[in-house]
Amino acid sequence: MKNGWQQRLQDELAQAWVVIVKDMKVHYLRPGMIMFGFMMPFFMFFSFSVRREMGAAQGVARLLALTTFFTAAAAGPFIIPLERRLGTYDRLLAAPMSLLTLLLGKAAVGALFAIGVSVFSLLVGVVAFGATIAQPWLLVSGVVLGSFSFSALGLIFGSIPTRNPGDVQMPSTLLRWGLLFISGTFIPLTEMAPAARAVAYLSPLTYAQDLMNHAVLGMGLLSPWLDLLVLLVSGILFMVPPVWMHRWARQLGY
Amino acid sequence: MSNLDHAIEVNDLTKIYGQADSGVLAVDHINFAVRQGEVFGFLGPNGAGKTTTQRMLTTLLEPTEGRIVILGHDLAREPYPVKRQMGLVPEESNVYTELTAWDNLMFTAQLYRVPRAERAERARQLLETFGLWEKRSVKVENFSKGMRRRLSIAMAIIHRPSLLFLDEPTPGLDVQSARAIRDLIRQLNAEGTTIFLTTHQIEEANQLCDRVAIINHGHIAATDTPERLKATFRRVQSVEVALEPPEGLEPSGGWGEALTALPGVTTAVKMGDKWRLYTEDPSALLPQVMDYARANKLKVISLSTLGPSLEDVFLELTGQQVGTVRHETQDDRPRRGMKGRMGGGR
Repeated sequence: MKNGWQQRLQDELAQAWVVIVKDMKVHYLRPGMIMFGFMMPFFMFFSFSVRREMGAAQGVARLLALTTFFTAAAAGPFIIPLERRLGTYDRLLAAPMSLLTLLLGKAAVGALFAIGVSVFSLLVGVVAFGATIAQPWLLVSGVVLGSFSFSALGLIFGSIPTRNPGDVQMPSTLLRWGLLFISGTFIPLTEMAPAARAVAYLSPLTYAQDLMNHAVLGMGLLSPWLDLLVLLVSGILFMVPPVWMHRWARQLGY
Repeated sequence: MSNLDHAIEVNDLTKIYGQADSGVLAVDHINFAVRQGEVFGFLGPNGAGKTTTQRMLTTLLEPTEGRIVILGHDLAREPYPVKRQMGLVPEESNVYTELTAWDNLMFTAQLYRVPRAERAERARQLLETFGLWEKRSVKVENFSKGMRRRLSIAMAIIHRPSLLFLDEPTPGLDVQSARAIRDLIRQLNAEGTTIFLTTHQIEEANQLCDRVAIINHGHIAATDTPERLKATFRRVQSVEVALEPPEGLEPSGGWGEALTALPGVTTAVKMGDKWRLYTEDPSALLPQVMDYARANKLKVISLSTLGPSLEDVFLELTGQQVGTVRHETQDDRPRRGMKGRMGGGR
């Protein structure tokens, strides 16, 4: 016989999973998700990688970092305001589960989408371009942690009290592009000026890219443990503002 | 101390949107209680604070002040056990249009942790009850408004809540769907579910509710049974009369003014081919109406006395006195006037 605490935990985990499965069915094939979550990282990759001297493995490492970042962070700003507008978010907020469970479920929706797109990118890199993976465990942990962290980043924007996804897309895209350009994705950290490198360390994408370099190329500038730690901590920290913003939204009536 | 006979107790509930000193006061220190097992109607015109109150009761909106106790639990401190026992049907049918009716029900059943062995059976029963069984595998995007509404209600009760919140359940539906939903509300209530019905459809509240609260400008104007509320407003009793001129003569539009001028008539309202004359003393007015008809050689087609309707009570309590169309009728614009009166209450 389970005690109340164990039963509650089991209920919450099951409810988070129910939300994830529902969102997969409802949102994954929406044009907005395909555009911002699936196609955008590929556009970005080809825009900045074509006609440049780059091996297959390097390209795969870059594409993986981009897909985890862009795809995972796209879900929250798209799904939550849309559900608020349709009224279906009230159904989730009124359900007997904690706000954290709901937000973890929503974070997992973006993360799983990003993991799926990353697997697709990896397959293309390995099968079509013959790329090899130096440290598979780092690849798996990096993609999973990075996806959760960036999905939580997207949740911050998704939690803005609005019923219009358009209100959220603009600031969300601005921040994502800003973090992308200051990170070491397109210009390796080793080639950056010290000041630029200091700024690059502010972007979590820098650590995801460094981790992918370790995983695919077998080398990176920072310790892979540091990369993993930063992604883990940033993922946890990124969950705090959505909780606050949901409480704020509850005061405003969203 | 909460009363165990009460499903809902609301004390000094207040909601201010925005800053406390400069924001919009939507609900102002309201108090009411809903008894276990009753259908409680929450009536009010648009912007009165109905939906704001309901959203606070269902945890979707944080009160600025006040205390809510639902099923013995303080909602601010113990929302979880309350959420497990309540169902919510919002004004807009918030169903997932990309999913089938079956998937919508299964999702809700799983979300409310309905035991796995019971989910399918309950979903089947509900779909059959709501006439949606044949459409169970159809995506909801292909459903009519009435079908979505029925599915929305089915989703709200699949976990068999002891307290059900319904926000404007029937507006915009065809007569058949609206009647089916009213029958279902009665049935749920007969099975022991407490119903909190937010509506501006007064006749619906009159038919369904054990008690009603009327909210206006964020204040509760009255709480009582529909019949007692009507009894309170004796001044809105009326005499309804339909007159016809002798054969060969055209109907005259001047009767309204003459009838309004009869002693004891407070207001006259044209209602189709009839006139409703509001008075505090219908028995005194009846012979005067007959005398007027005889004197003007008019045929009395029908003549009846009416007690105040819940609509009359509602209009009185919300400051829109019955017969606010009096001047309209004098301007010979009775139909517009009637429309204006009805519109004023919404």
